[in-house]
Amino acid sequence: MKLSRLFMILSLAFVVVAAGCSNNEESSEKSDAENKKAEAPSNEEGLTIAVESNFTSMDPHDTNDNQSYSAQSAIYEGLLGFDEDLNIVPVLAEEYEANEDSTVFTFTLKEGITFHDGTPFNAEAVKANIDRLADPESQLRRSSLFELVEKTEVTGEYEVEVTLKEPFGAMPNNFAHPAAAMISPKAIESSDEIARNPVGTGPFQFTEWKSGDHLTVEKYEGYREEGVPKVDRVEFKPVPESGSRVAMLQTGEADFVFPVAPNQVETLKDEAGVSVVNKPSLVVKYFSMNTMKEPFNDPKVRKALNYAIDKEAYVNVIYDGYASVTKSEIAPDTQHYAEQEIYKYDPEKAKELLTEAGYPDGFETTIWGGTSSLKQKMMQFYKQQLSQVGITLNVVPMEGGTLGDKIWGVDNPDNAELELYNGGWSPSTADADWGLRPLFSSKSFPPEAYNTAYYENEKVDELLQKGLSTADDKKRGEYYAEAQQIIWDDAPWVFLAVPDLIYAEQEYVDGLTMLPSGVMDLKQAEIVSE
Amino acid sequence: MAEANVHMEEQKRVTPFQQFWSSFKKQKVSFAAGAFLLLLFIVAIIGPYIAPYEPNEPDYNQLLSGPSWQHLAGTDDFGRDIFSRILHGARISLAVGLSSVLLGAVVGTVFGVISGYFGKWIDSAIMRVMDVLLAFPGMLLAIGIIAILGPGLVNVVMAVAIFSVPVFARIIRSNTLAIKSTLYVEATQSIGSSHWRTIWKHIFPGTVSTLIVYFTMRIGSAILIAAGLSFLGLGADPSTPEWGAMLSNGRSYLNNAPHVTFFPGLAIFLTVLAFNLLGDGLRDALDPKIRE
Amino acid sequence: MLKYSIKRILGMIPLLFVISVIAFLFVHLIPGDPARLIAGTDATIEEIKNIREKYGLDEPLYQQYVDYMANLFQGDLGTSIVSARPVMDMLAERFVPTLSLTFASMFWALLFGLLIGVISAVKRNKWQDHLTMFLAVSGVSIPSFWLGLMLIQLFSVQLGWFPTGGIGGIESYILPSLTLGAGVAAIIARFTRSSLMDVLKEDYIRTGRAKGLAEFKVINRHALRNAMIPVVTMSGLQFGFLLSGSIITETIFSWPGLGRLLINSITARDYPVIQAEILLFSLEFLLINLLVDLLYGFLNPKIRYEEGS
Repeated sequence: MKLSRLFMILSLAFVVVAAGCSNNEESSEKSDAENKKAEAPSNEEGLTIAVESNFTSMDPHDTNDNQSYSAQSAIYEGLLGFDEDLNIVPVLAEEYEANEDSTVFTFTLKEGITFHDGTPFNAEAVKANIDRLADPESQLRRSSLFELVEKTEVTGEYEVEVTLKEPFGAMPNNFAHPAAAMISPKAIESSDEIARNPVGTGPFQFTEWKSGDHLTVEKYEGYREEGVPKVDRVEFKPVPESGSRVAMLQTGEADFVFPVAPNQVETLKDEAGVSVVNKPSLVVKYFSMNTMKEPFNDPKVRKALNYAIDKEAYVNVIYDGYASVTKSEIAPDTQHYAEQEIYKYDPEKAKELLTEAGYPDGFETTIWGGTSSLKQKMMQFYKQQLSQVGITLNVVPMEGGTLGDKIWGVDNPDNAELELYNGGWSPSTADADWGLRPLFSSKSFPPEAYNTAYYENEKVDELLQKGLSTADDKKRGEYYAEAQQIIWDDAPWVFLAVPDLIYAEQEYVDGLTMLPSGVMDLKQAEIVSE
Repeated sequence: MAEANVHMEEQKRVTPFQQFWSSFKKQKVSFAAGAFLLLLFIVAIIGPYIAPYEPNEPDYNQLLSGPSWQHLAGTDDFGRDIFSRILHGARISLAVGLSSVLLGAVVGTVFGVISGYFGKWIDSAIMRVMDVLLAFPGMLLAIGIIAILGPGLVNVVMAVAIFSVPVFARIIRSNTLAIKSTLYVEATQSIGSSHWRTIWKHIFPGTVSTLIVYFTMRIGSAILIAAGLSFLGLGADPSTPEWGAMLSNGRSYLNNAPHVTFFPGLAIFLTVLAFNLLGDGLRDALDPKIRE
Repeated sequence: MLKYSIKRILGMIPLLFVISVIAFLFVHLIPGDPARLIAGTDATIEEIKNIREKYGLDEPLYQQYVDYMANLFQGDLGTSIVSARPVMDMLAERFVPTLSLTFASMFWALLFGLLIGVISAVKRNKWQDHLTMFLAVSGVSIPSFWLGLMLIQLFSVQLGWFPTGGIGGIESYILPSLTLGAGVAAIIARFTRSSLMDVLKEDYIRTGRAKGLAEFKVINRHALRNAMIPVVTMSGLQFGFLLSGSIITETIFSWPGLGRLLINSITARDYPVIQAEILLFSLEFLLINLLVDLLYGFLNPKIRYEEGS
C-alpha cells in the first residue's frame, strides 16, 4: 500500500465530487466537447432512436400504446393507413369502397407482396387477420375496433369483403388504426409468439428484442417499393429519464429522440447539429367538473372556472409555449373538428358569474390527477389561478392505479366522490366519434368509459348516435360540429390546450416523420451525409 | 495497574455527561456538524419569519432567473424564490427525517428489548419478522408502502419509519442480550423485581447510547429516501417546499438553470452530511470500547 | 459445516412460504386494477373485461390464491399481465445486468471503502482521518439521482468519455457503478475504520508495537486481518441489497435490471411479476445471509487471534 498511489486515487475521487459541483454552476458556458456535431453513422450502422418506456408487445392486435405502435409500424402495414396529416390512404389495399349505409366494405389488395417469412399476402391472409381481431374469444386488447364485424369473405384472390352488424361511418379509421396491421397468417397459426417474433410486410424485419434495453429491426430486402428502406438497421432504446434522452442526443448516442420535455427544448436549441421539431398533437388537455355535484351542476360556475384560468399562461408555464390554447373538445387534426370561441381569461367576469350563481366568496373544492411532475405542476397552476377568484383548490395527486380505482371503481354516479379531474384525451382513431363519444355520451359514465364530468345532454347523445350511423362525411361533419358547439357552451370541462409533439433529431436524419397521433413512420428515414 | 487506578479515580469525579462532553469536544468535525445542525434547527423554527418571499408565490415574469440580490438563490420554474423555499423547507425536511426515525426507533426498540429480554419463541418470532422486513432494500419497501398508502408527506414518514424498525430492533436486541448477561441484571431478577421494572430500570438505560448514535445516523438516510421517493413521483406534493421535491422537480433544468437544483441539493447534502458526521462523532464519544 | 448449511437451507422453506403469502397479500392490497392500467388510456370496458378474464383477475381472491400457490409449487411463476411472457424468462433476462452492475459497484465500494477506512483508522484524529472520512461520508450524503445526473452531465455530455446510459461494454458500467457504489463505499469505510480501531487497541498489537515491529507490518500482518471479519460481513449484506437492483440508478442510466422491472411492474400492477420479484429478493437475501454466516465461521476470529499472538 504505497502512500503516493493512495493519494492519487483519493485526489481523483475528490476531483469527481468537486467537478460535479462546479459543473453545476458553470455549465451554461459550453465547452468544446459539448458543441461538437455528432458524426453521422453509416447506413449499415443505422439509426438509434431513444424512446420513453419499454415496449409492451410486438403483436399489434394486442397492443395499445403508441410507442409499441411506433416500432410495429416499421415491421407491419395495414390495409389502410394515415398520412402525416391524418388523411386515410390505402397501404396494402389498392383501393376500397363502402356501400351506402356503411355496412359492407370491399378491399382490392395490392399484388405480389410477401410477408417477411415468405408467406404471400392475399385475401386469405387478410381474412385470417380480421377473423382473429373480430373473434371475441381471442381476448385481444384491440378487438373492440372490430367488434362490429359480422363476417369477412374472400371474394377473389385479391379481394375481400367485410360486413358489419350495424352501420359504422368511421370504420375506415379503424382499418387505418395501427392495431389493424396485417400479420403473417403462418405466424398467427403458430400462435402466442407473435408478441416476441413479429412477422409483417413492412420495410423492416424484426431482429432482436431485449426488454428494457433495445429492440432492433433490419432492412427487409424483399420490400415492395424500390429503394425503401434507406437505412439497414434501426435500434430503439427505452430511456425513461427525460434528461438522459436529451443527453444521448447531445453525445450523439441517439439520432432521434421522442418525446422531448418542453422545458428541455432550450437546452437542445443551443446544440450544434441538432434540430428540434414541434407540431400539434391529437391530445386535448382539460380538467373535468362533475356536473352532477354542487356547485358544478350550475353552468355559471363551470363557465366561471373557464374564465378564471389564463390559458395563455398555462401554455407558457406548463409547456414552455409548446402547446396551443384549445378551441374545441377535440384537437384540430381530428376529423370533423369545428372551431369554437375561446373562454378568454377574465377573472372579473368569473367573479361576476360566481356571484350570480350564489358563491360571491368562492368555495373549496378538490382536484384529482396523476403524480408525474408535469401533472402536479398543472394542478398547482390551477390552484394559484383559482385562488384569484376566491376558490380554494385542494390538489390531490394520486398514483395511476389508485386514481383508476377511485374514478372507475364507482358504479353509481351518485356515489362518485370525484369533483374535478385533471385529464387529457387523444383519440387513437383520429375520428370525432372517438374524440367525443367516450367523454360526453351519457352512456360513457365511469366505469363504462371516460365521461368524468358525468355530462348528460340528450341532444348531444342524439347527435353522436347519428354521426355513427352514416358514412356520409358531410352529414357527419354537421352532426359533430353541432355537438361540439353544444358541449362547448355547457362547459363540462375547463378547456385548456393542445400540447405539441416535440421530437429532436440529428441534422443528418431525414424523412423520419411523426404522425400527430404520436406514432413514428420510419419508412422514408435516411441518413444524409454531406 | 497503576495507570488503570488513576483512570478509575478520574472517572469518579466526572459525571457521564461531562465525560461524554469532553471527549466529544475533541471531535472537531463532528462538533462543527453539531453546531451546523443547531443552526439548522433555529432556521427551521424561525425560517418562515425571515424568508423574504412567500414560498408559493409565483412570479410569471421571473421564471428560472439566476441568483441575484433580489433572489439570493434565484427563482424556479414558477418564478418562486428558491431561497425562501429552502428556508421554509428546512422545517419540513427536518420534520420528515426526525419523525420517521423517531417512529421507527420507538417501535424497533420495543421489539428489540422484548426480543432480547424474553428470548425463546418470542425472540425467534420477532426476529423472523424483522428478517423479512430487512430482506427488502429500504427503497423497495418504501415504494411498496407508498403504493398501498398513496403519495404524500405523512405516508412518506410512515414508509421510512417502517423500514427503520428492523434496524433498531436488531441492534437493541443484541445490546439487550449483552446487558442481560451482566451480573447486576441477574441479581435484580433473583431479588424478584418484575420484568417490566428490570427492563425499564436496567436494560433500557444501557441501550441509550447506542440508540442515540443510530438515531442520528438514520436521520440522514431518511431524508435521502424521502428525496428519492420524490424523484419517483411518490413523495411530497411538489408545491410543498420539501427539499427533495425541489431537487427532483428542478432536474429538467440541469442544463439551462442549474441553480434550481443546486441549492436544494446543497441543502440536502449538507444536512445529511452533518447528521452523519455528528453520528460518527457521537459513536466515538459514547462507545466505551473506543474511548480512551 | 455441510450439515449446518443443509439445516439452514431447509429452514428457509417455511420462511419462503410465509413470504409468498405476504407477497400475494401485499400485491393485492395495492389499490388499482391491472386490467384497466394495461388496457391503456382509451380502452373500452369490453377490452378491460377481456383482460380480466384472460388473466383470471375476475375470479374470487381465494381462487386466485389457490392458482398462484399451485403454480408456485410446480415452479411456475406465472405469466406477466403486461408482456404476456413467462415471469421466469423476464427475471432471468433482468438478473444478469443487475448482477454485473452489482459486481462493478462492489469493486468501487471495496476499493475506496477499504482505502479510506484504513487511512482514517491509522491516522486517527489527524487531518488525514478528517479529510478521508469527510469524503466517504459525502458519498452517502448526496441524493443518488442528483449524483447520477451530474455524472452524466460532466462525463458524458461535457467530456464525452462515457455513454449516458444503457448496458454495453465496460465503459457503460463506470458511471452507474460509481453512482451506486458511492453509498456502499462510505458504509464500508466507516466499518473498516471502527473495526480497525478496535483491533488496534488489542494487546497483541500493542505487543507488536512494543517489540518494535514497523507500523506498516503491524497493520498489514495482524490488525487488518482481524479487522476484516466484520467488514466482510457488512460487505456481504450490502452486496445482497445491491442484487435487488437500484430503482433510481437503473432509471437514470436506462439499465435493464431488476429494479426498473419492479417499478414498472408496480406502476402497471403486474401482479405475477411483483410477487416473483419479492420472492426472488427474499431468497437472495436469505442465501447471502447464509453465505455470510458461513464465511464468518470460516474466518473465525479466535483462530486468527491465536495465530496473531
